[in-house]
Amino acid sequence: MPDSFLVIDDSKLLHQMYKVIFSQGTLKGSTVHFAANGRDGYGLLAAHPDLTLVLLDLNMPEMNGLEVLARRQAEQLHPHVPIALVTTEGSEEDEARGRAVGAWDYLRKPFQPPDIQRLVERARAYAAARA
Amino acid sequence: MSKSENPFGELLQDYIVECLPLAEQIADTFVALERQWRAGEAGDEILASVKGRLHTVKGNSAMMGLTPMQDLAHALEDACALLSGLPASRDKEAAELLVGGAGLLVDLIRDAATRTDRSAAGRFVERVRRFLASAAGREAKPAEDRRHGERRTVGRSRESADTASSVVRVDFRRLDALLEVLGEGLIQHSSLVDLYRRLLRRVGPCTEIGELDLAVVTLEKTLKRLEATLMETRLLPVSTVIGRFPRMVRDIAQAEGKTVRVEMTGGETALDKAVLDRLGEPLLHLVTNAVVHGIEQPEERKAAGKSAEGVLRLDAASVSGRIVIRVADDGRGLNEAAIRAKAEALGLEEKAIDGAQLYSLIFVSGLSTAEGVSKLAGRGVGLDVVAGAIHGLGGTIDVTSQEGVGTAFTLSLPVTLAIVRSLIVEVDRERYAVPLTHVAETVRAEPEAIREINHRGVTQWRGDLIHVADGGAILGTGSSAGAPRRFYVVMTAGAKRRGLMVDRLIGHQDIVVKGLDPSLGRPDVVSGTTILGDGRVACILDVVRILDGAGHAN
Repeated sequence: MPDSFLVIDDSKLLHQMYKVIFSQGTLKGSTVHFAANGRDGYGLLAAHPDLTLVLLDLNMPEMNGLEVLARRQAEQLHPHVPIALVTTEGSEEDEARGRAVGAWDYLRKPFQPPDIQRLVERARAYAAARA
Repeated sequence: MSKSENPFGELLQDYIVECLPLAEQIADTFVALERQWRAGEAGDEILASVKGRLHTVKGNSAMMGLTPMQDLAHALEDACALLSGLPASRDKEAAELLVGGAGLLVDLIRDAATRTDRSAAGRFVERVRRFLASAAGREAKPAEDRRHGERRTVGRSRESADTASSVVRVDFRRLDALLEVLGEGLIQHSSLVDLYRRLLRRVGPCTEIGELDLAVVTLEKTLKRLEATLMETRLLPVSTVIGRFPRMVRDIAQAEGKTVRVEMTGGETALDKAVLDRLGEPLLHLVTNAVVHGIEQPEERKAAGKSAEGVLRLDAASVSGRIVIRVADDGRGLNEAAIRAKAEALGLEEKAIDGAQLYSLIFVSGLSTAEGVSKLAGRGVGLDVVAGAIHGLGGTIDVTSQEGVGTAFTLSLPVTLAIVRSLIVEVDRERYAVPLTHVAETVRAEPEAIREINHRGVTQWRGDLIHVADGGAILGTGSSAGAPRRFYVVMTAGAKRRGLMVDRLIGHQDIVVKGLDPSLGRPDVVSGTTILGDGRVACILDVVRILDGAGHAN
């Protein structure tokens, strides 16, 4: 089954960047869903239980990343789907708070295509280990 | 970092499209914040509202590898965080730091696609660092705590992200190319109409002719719809030009020792990009004049019973197919006595000039220069240039004023320059287009009605004497040596009027404006060309320049 991803970020520019990244190398051909805020992103997560990885921006209007994670944890929505929290110069505090509500990993801006590729490989290994 | 080094270099335009408005909002917010501080208010909400935007600009700049913008946004974030915690530091210096930094951020992002010198960002970051250090010293609070405080803050203020995922970016030249194709379609339609008429004359009415008529009419409607849709795609909100004004006004006012608040409405009013591009400068001129010459010093205002802070209003609206923009200040108003005195000194007092006509003298070239009316009226110089630019856009400009209360300039502009409704005339077998906005009337020329005074033709028109020039002389095709010309067109621009003698009036037509080949130079009297229904090329008359005296030498 080809990989599918969910990007939740309020920046259209970041959406474009993810499109560039997901059209390269081993990621080519994968399906990517986009949401511009946490609320829409949560809906897309609910609709797609088979996501390989979710990339969730921390700072967003209408439900920020931490709120998405907290709600997901409270409602136990697809707990097996790994969610990486994306931050700008994230502090350890942010990371600790993310982990407390179930963030699987962290990605710090600025990131480059290889960073995403590594994250995806880990997510695939995570899925394989669970299976 | 150059394009080749950053994997997202291709997205530079997307970066500018997303971050420039954010940076402009940040800059506007700081201007508002400065005003609140001056009024003795805390401005906490404003300070908090800007964080999310700064954060986004910082993150996006980092992703693009645009380190100067990233550092600058970061420095502003730090400054905001510090000021949130330290109300005592909210002074003039702090406000200037924020406004200046945001202005720099706007400039850097706007020019992100060019290799401009970005070293100013580094210098600014250094300035913020010194400011933070001194402010922290004053409050004797460890800097590290504040940094954590800042990080804990989660920006949530950004307005809901643009959900219009169906938006695409298109090079404006492509829209111009589409317009040319549409123009060709309109021409072909005209030849079809022409053919239909000849056919009708030859074969007379019949079913097929009726069907052909219907087909031609339907085609015209389709082309009109295409035109309307295409025009819509060329429109941009007027805020793309006036959005920068609050910040500029603030800077100008500060240099003048004044405080001026800008109030805007109708920023979403849409105009053709080609019009907008040529509107920025004249508008800025009016705004600068209002701040420098219109609005008084704070003491003077207080003495007159006004608030110390001046108000500059910018209102845009769409009114029956045209765009009306109003620039109004609550300053001292035009000095009517000075204008009247000057007008009399120049021998313009022949008629009792009423207020509106009197004020319109400030637009007249020669009157508004150096010691002219405009300067005496407290408007600086160059209003003739502003008026010329507005007339050149097919627009009009009017002024109203009341001494001690304020001055308002009202601009009326066409939504587009690409398609212009024009009167087609013939002079010496050549066709010319006269934009209808400049046509007051067409008159059958009775030979005895035109007299010669000082070797110039004059005639009585609507109770006034106006000059009437020979079309051939103006356009360089000769003088009316042959049969006398049968009509004259009364052309107007602002307060100026003049008749132009022509041989024939062909009719009204929507013409698609084509530029002139720059290598051919620009004839004085022609602003562009168009292709008529029969495939002939017609020159579009530059009425403003003809009324300014162009074409006389011919």
